[in-house]
Amino acid sequence: MSARTTYLLLFLPALAMLALALYPFVQGVLTAFSDRKLYYDTSSFIGFQNFIALFADDEFHDSILRTLAFTAGVVFVQIPLGLGIALLLLRQSWIQPILRSTLVLPLLIPPVVAGLMWKTMMQPQSGIVNWLLSNVGIPPQTWLSHVDTALLSVILIDTWVFTPFAALILLAGLQSIPPELDEAARVDGAGALLVFRAIQLPWIVPFIVLVALFRVTDSLKSFELFYATTRGGPLNATRTMHIMAYEEAFRWSSVGKAMAVVFVLWLMSYFISMFLMTKWQRRSGVHHEYG
Amino acid sequence: MKLDHLQILKSGSWISAFAGAALLGASTAAVSQEFDWKQQEGSSVNVLLVSHQFVEALKPLVPEFEEMTGISVSLDVLAEQAAFEKLLADLSSQVGSVDVFMTSPLNNWQYATANWLEPLDEFIGDPALTHPDYDVGDFFQGVLNSNRWTRVPMQGIGEGPLWALPINSESYLMAYRPSVFKELGLEVPKTYDELLAIADKLDTGSAEFGLITRFDKYWDLPYLTFGTMLQSYGVEMIDADGNLQICSDASVQATDDFVTLIKTASPEGAGAFTWYEALQGFASGQYALSLNEADLFAPVYQDAEQSEVSDDVGYAPTPLGPDGTRKAGAWIWSMSMNAASKNKEAAWLFLSWVTSKDTMIATHLAGNMNPVRASAWENHEVAAMVNRWGETPGQYSDVTATMAEVAAVRFPPHPELTRMLDRWAQAVQEVYFNGSDTRTALCEAQDDVEKMFN
Repeated sequence: MSARTTYLLLFLPALAMLALALYPFVQGVLTAFSDRKLYYDTSSFIGFQNFIALFADDEFHDSILRTLAFTAGVVFVQIPLGLGIALLLLRQSWIQPILRSTLVLPLLIPPVVAGLMWKTMMQPQSGIVNWLLSNVGIPPQTWLSHVDTALLSVILIDTWVFTPFAALILLAGLQSIPPELDEAARVDGAGALLVFRAIQLPWIVPFIVLVALFRVTDSLKSFELFYATTRGGPLNATRTMHIMAYEEAFRWSSVGKAMAVVFVLWLMSYFISMFLMTKWQRRSGVHHEYG
Repeated sequence: MKLDHLQILKSGSWISAFAGAALLGASTAAVSQEFDWKQQEGSSVNVLLVSHQFVEALKPLVPEFEEMTGISVSLDVLAEQAAFEKLLADLSSQVGSVDVFMTSPLNNWQYATANWLEPLDEFIGDPALTHPDYDVGDFFQGVLNSNRWTRVPMQGIGEGPLWALPINSESYLMAYRPSVFKELGLEVPKTYDELLAIADKLDTGSAEFGLITRFDKYWDLPYLTFGTMLQSYGVEMIDADGNLQICSDASVQATDDFVTLIKTASPEGAGAFTWYEALQGFASGQYALSLNEADLFAPVYQDAEQSEVSDDVGYAPTPLGPDGTRKAGAWIWSMSMNAASKNKEAAWLFLSWVTSKDTMIATHLAGNMNPVRASAWENHEVAAMVNRWGETPGQYSDVTATMAEVAAVRFPPHPELTRMLDRWAQAVQEVYFNGSDTRTALCEAQDDVEKMFN
């Protein structure tokens, strides 16, 4: 096979894939600049009007803050928790294989199912969570049904579902530490805390950045858990940008405005991901130098 | 803006139907020899349904239709919100993968605007496609005509093409636990003032909580349940002069009283209750009173397999407003045909079979409430079943007849109406959750709604 044929065989599928990815994206961006409503056949190009209206809307500002608060909550809870679990799993013990296989179970449950399951369990009057708490003298909590606790409750559910992901990646990072580093440190009399601070933690920084990269991008566009638990409520307490876009498109048929929200979300996701990617690549370089 | 108000349920028809229920026999299932049910044999119909007692009642009957017609029917049953989302995606794509679907006048004001609905008059008028026993005049005409609309925003409801056929109708009532009221020595309230006066006592007996009603941030709040309270306080979204009344004095009063009731007699978390929580909550036996909830929850309350209160439930009309007025919202589940359907004749055969006298009666006997055909109310078995419901024989029938006299859709037909009502509901939630000043919150909502008309 000639080199030309090889390139052609690669080029054509690549072009098809690019077109399949780009066409909906470009179509979506164009829609963001239109007044398209699902129930009208026609739509007009209206420039930046959707964006101007959005940025003049306090509710949009609030939805950006909620999205960022959710993302920050998810990352700052799940990474330390995942790291703690990974360190426990690193220890050789008879229970370790059982723990490992149990750990991944939440990841195997679709987020919508997990959301519905937790919604039932967190039901303030009849849910099992409040019943369990009442047995140890803790008063019932409102969980998903009050503006003050709803976002925190979704973060907790997300943590239940996705902390195993963080733990698995970080465990892989910890296991990739060359044993001689650990042994040398211990021979020199270093305790577990010092080994963690001086060897394990610096070594797994790229893995932490990797987990952060995945969890940040996933959390910014998180939808299923919100859809299954609160749909943005109560009031607007969990109305993130993705939920706002969903309401605009599927409750009110304002596809133009919905795509404008999604476009802003995409920009945020893109720039934050790029920032984390740069960090990750820089930190990964350290490992390559060692290797 | 000038409004056409439609009296959905012609009270006369309903009352006469109740009165005659014990006297008239079941409609017969005479099948005309001339009518060809097999004319679309081999075709298929896709039906999108919202999870509802009607669907549970319909499912076992579908094989009969398939056998009679040779048409294969595929039922897709989804939760309400998911069903409407899927429907919107399908209708807007105009692919026509859904032929027939459950809907309501409120939803159809948007779908009809978009030309997504097939008008049904021609099918009904075609003797080759409609069985001679179909008898469209047997529907309560107020209910049937709520599905007519000229497609001119803000007017023309009850006129123009028929976009859907009704399958049941819903209004609102109070359901209460007679044992709890007796235990506490309380009378079932007749007015909102009386209800406010006893609200803090309702949970002092064997009921864990006082009252339950849906209270989410969506259109059904001002349109249906809290809407029933608003209308009894004299609040309609737009008054006879065409002015918005969302932040009128009466609306502020109704909202304050509603929030007071919830804060006094409902548990924490009541601000997120949907109709589902309202239904399950009262059926679980935790509450003394269900305020202004759907009358068609009664089959669940009365079913010992689904309810803890099956032998301890009574029904009462919704309370009277400050000046002794009682009005109520109305919801009419209906079925429409997709204009993009590729099997319109087969779809019509299915639609006309579902809404026929016999099929309707069969679904009512399996819990699909409330009937929209006079013949169904006249059926012995339906009448006997309904007459058993309540604290005393005939209580449910009497209460729903009372409510039918005052139930109506008092909102303007407009494709943006759901968005407007969502905004109104949000304002009520702001008062409850944030302690916002009621008038300020409602007037801000009114300003936003005003912009949506343009």
